[in-house]
Order: sequence, then C-alpha cells, then structure tokens
Amino acid sequence: MTDDDPGPLIRLYGLTGGRARPQGEAFDLVAIVATVHLPQEPSVLNPEHHTILRICRRPTPVADVAAGLGLPLNVTRVLLGDLRREGLVSITPPKPANQSIDERTYRDVLHGIRRL
Amino acid sequence: MEFAGFDRPRPSGGTLTATALKILVAGGFGVGKTTMVGTISEIRPLHTEELLSDRGVGVDDVSGVERKVATTVALDFGRITIRQDLWLYLFGTPGQDRFWFMWDELALGALGAVVLADTRRLADCFPAVDYFEQLKLPFVVAVNCFDGARRHDPGKVRRAVGLDETTPVIMCDARNRSSVKEVLTMLVTHAMEVR
Repeated sequence: MTDDDPGPLIRLYGLTGGRARPQGEAFDLVAIVATVHLPQEPSVLNPEHHTILRICRRPTPVADVAAGLGLPLNVTRVLLGDLRREGLVSITPPKPANQSIDERTYRDVLHGIRRL
Repeated sequence: MEFAGFDRPRPSGGTLTATALKILVAGGFGVGKTTMVGTISEIRPLHTEELLSDRGVGVDDVSGVERKVATTVALDFGRITIRQDLWLYLFGTPGQDRFWFMWDELALGALGAVVLADTRRLADCFPAVDYFEQLKLPFVVAVNCFDGARRHDPGKVRRAVGLDETTPVIMCDARNRSSVKEVLTMLVTHAMEVR
C-alpha cells in the first residue's frame, strides 16, 4: 500500500469534476438505487456512470453501489446525483425503523444470522 | 428505454420492495470494530484506512492498544444477505471524536447497535452508550476479550458502564464468527423485545 502517492485521490475527484457533494437531496447509505432508464446520449456519461446503471438493474443500496464501483462513498454519491438529475435512476430513501421492520422481518433477520 | 425485467416492487404485492437494514458497530478506537464487521460480512468490508503517522499518534491515544497499526478514518461496512430483497448492513462507526458528525446519518433508521468494549479501556465506550441511550436505539454491549485482557463478568461491566437492567451485556471474540453471530442474535432479539 503506497499512501504517499496522491494520484488516485486526484483521479477520483476528476471523475466528479472536483465535486465533493452530490446535487440535491443527500442519499442515505442504504437508500435503494434502481436504474429506470438507459441514457439517450451515452457520450455525456463516463464509464463509472454506466457501471452504476448496470449494477442498479437490480435495486441496490448506495453502500453496495460504492463497493461495486470500488469508489469512496462521497464520489459515488456525486455520480448518483448526476444520474438522478438525468432521470436515469430512482433513489428510494429507507423508511424509519419502526415502519420498515415488522415482526416477520425481525424473524427473517434472526434466521439469516443463525444460518451463516 | 424502460426496463421490464427487474425485480422491482410488484403492483400486486406492495411489500416486495428491496430493503436494507443497518446495524451499527460502535466503540472506542482500536477496539475491534473493523474486525467484527469483517468476521461476519459476506463481502470484504469496504473501508478507507490511513496509517497512523507520528502526528496521528498524538491525536489517537494508543496506550494499551499496542498492536493496532492503522486506524479507520472513513467508514467500514459489511453485508449479510437475509433474503433476495433484504440485506443487513453492518457499519463500523468512526472511532474518533472528530468523526461524530457521521453518526447521525448512520443511526437514522438503524435496527440497533453493538457497542464494542475493551475492559482495559472501558471508558472509551461511554460516548457510544450515551449516544444510543439518548437516541433510544436498541443496543447491546459486547466486551471484546482480547488475548491478555482481563476477563470481567457481565454484571461488573454493566455496573461500570452504568447500564440499565434491560441492556444486554455479552462477552465476545470479534475474530470468531460464531461469537459475532451470538452478539448479533442477541441484539436483534433485544430490538424485537423493546420496539
């Protein structure tokens, strides 16, 4: 691991045009991203945008999109913001725990942990 | 072009929306949060780590934590797939005070939290305990039994941390998969009971 080399970080923010935050509403780490359209003009998107669109054909949490891209969360969020602005992805924020976690979900989670 | 073949929520069954649940793993610096997430995750935890520089050592008190050479400065997370449309994410909370701002986002909508404690530096877990108590987020205190660390019984830890009678305390080994499973099972059971 070479921490002296500043190259990758500079390149990362090159992907976002130097932006550190996405436009519009922030995305929760476990907001679900789903690709809803393919771009009409592929040229306006960079390869990472296309990778996101491919990953999110199956609805995928923001954190996993970052993992799939191998990019930091902040960079991923900026790219997601681009795609949302273009209307290519939908981003569904998580519901509060008391609405999203019912008895069945708790039991499924317990079962899922035990079978690991 | 619209995608037709996704496993999107079906009109007839509104509950088929994909859901990702969060569990937080909190505790003092170097207590084993990253280890715990990595032990149980089905993916290699995503994280950004920075080696401690000389300057960093001054910022991060490493007394009693001899073997930790790198500290997490961003975020670790791991994933457990529960069903096709339900994932459990474990987020290791940043261990240093200057990253507290990230906690509110992490805690929002979370199922619960594991507060990892080290009996050599028990006070390091107090901020996390205070935070989750104030937030009324269900949590368990898991005492990571490092090699060479003094063993405490759960009752003593409970009194030392000032926990109420309902908050579970469990001894664990963050490197051991069945031990981490036991901690998570206890947390989810506790969260079910208090919700």
